Amino acid sequence: MRLHLNIKGKEYEIEISEEEGKIKIKVGGKEFSFGREEEEKTSIAKTSLPKRNFSKKEIKAPVTGVVSKIFVKEGEFVKSDQKVLILSAMKMENEIISESNGLVKEIRVKENQSVNIGDVLIVLK
Amino acid sequence: MEIKYFSQLKSTNQKAKELSSKEAKPWLVVVAEKQTAGYGKEKVPWFSPQGGLYFSIILPKSKIEDLQTLTILAAWISAKVIKDNFNLEPLIKLPNDVLLNQKKICGILTENIIGKDVKSSVIGIGLNTNIEKFPKDLENSATSLKIELGREVDNKKILEQIVKGLKEQLTTISE
Repeated sequence: MRLHLNIKGKEYEIEISEEEGKIKIKVGGKEFSFGREEEEKTSIAKTSLPKRNFSKKEIKAPVTGVVSKIFVKEGEFVKSDQKVLILSAMKMENEIISESNGLVKEIRVKENQSVNIGDVLIVLK
Repeated sequence: MEIKYFSQLKSTNQKAKELSSKEAKPWLVVVAEKQTAGYGKEKVPWFSPQGGLYFSIILPKSKIEDLQTLTILAAWISAKVIKDNFNLEPLIKLPNDVLLNQKKICGILTENIIGKDVKSSVIGIGLNTNIEKFPKDLENSATSLKIELGREVDNKKILEQIVKGLKEQLTTISE
């Protein structure tokens, strides 16, 4: 749809079209694109929230080995970089630290338990 | 080769971990003439009187599987240095104990701090070099180069050869 507007003696040609659910308005060679109201609201909500993951966080075994020591308990709050357990593998002792703050929701292993690489050790929320 | 010497430490691994958290450079070597609380796997005490060679190395950030390979290769490197220098026949008891005449002569422990990836790594080696005598509870299970050779050895030379070997191996593994 094309329109001609005269504002304060100046002539503007305006072209309005709808493509892929978006309304495009072209004024004097410049194009402006608008989404539907609903989509705009969603987009604002997404960008205005802090980028935090509120879902559960899992601490996984980085290597196959034996859990030799657990330093935390269920219900305890752990901080980022806090050591949560020791995983021994061959002659390596791996101090596993939490990468984020969170509440220990579940400890899925026991001391002296063998684990495989990728096994979930601790669940935080 | 950057080496920090201490006349005494609780544990060279502990000191290396402490220095590593303060952004010390990779391949810094921490040496103690004796350890008052030296330890191996699961904090089992490592007999560390004056005369032995006790050192830990801050390793460059590496993949966990490369560190595991390096830890196993550390026993082979230590055994090779003993064999090449002193014409002895050390045996490697897998994964990484080094034995001479069926008695332990060298212990190795790598300690890593791991989050989403490896944050820091140190490898510690205790080599019974110039130890004259072991306490009763260890004399049947541990030996030293001095006991086997009947003479003292050069700790610094052995240290440099092992560190050089580890550097070469980690470079090869990482490639």
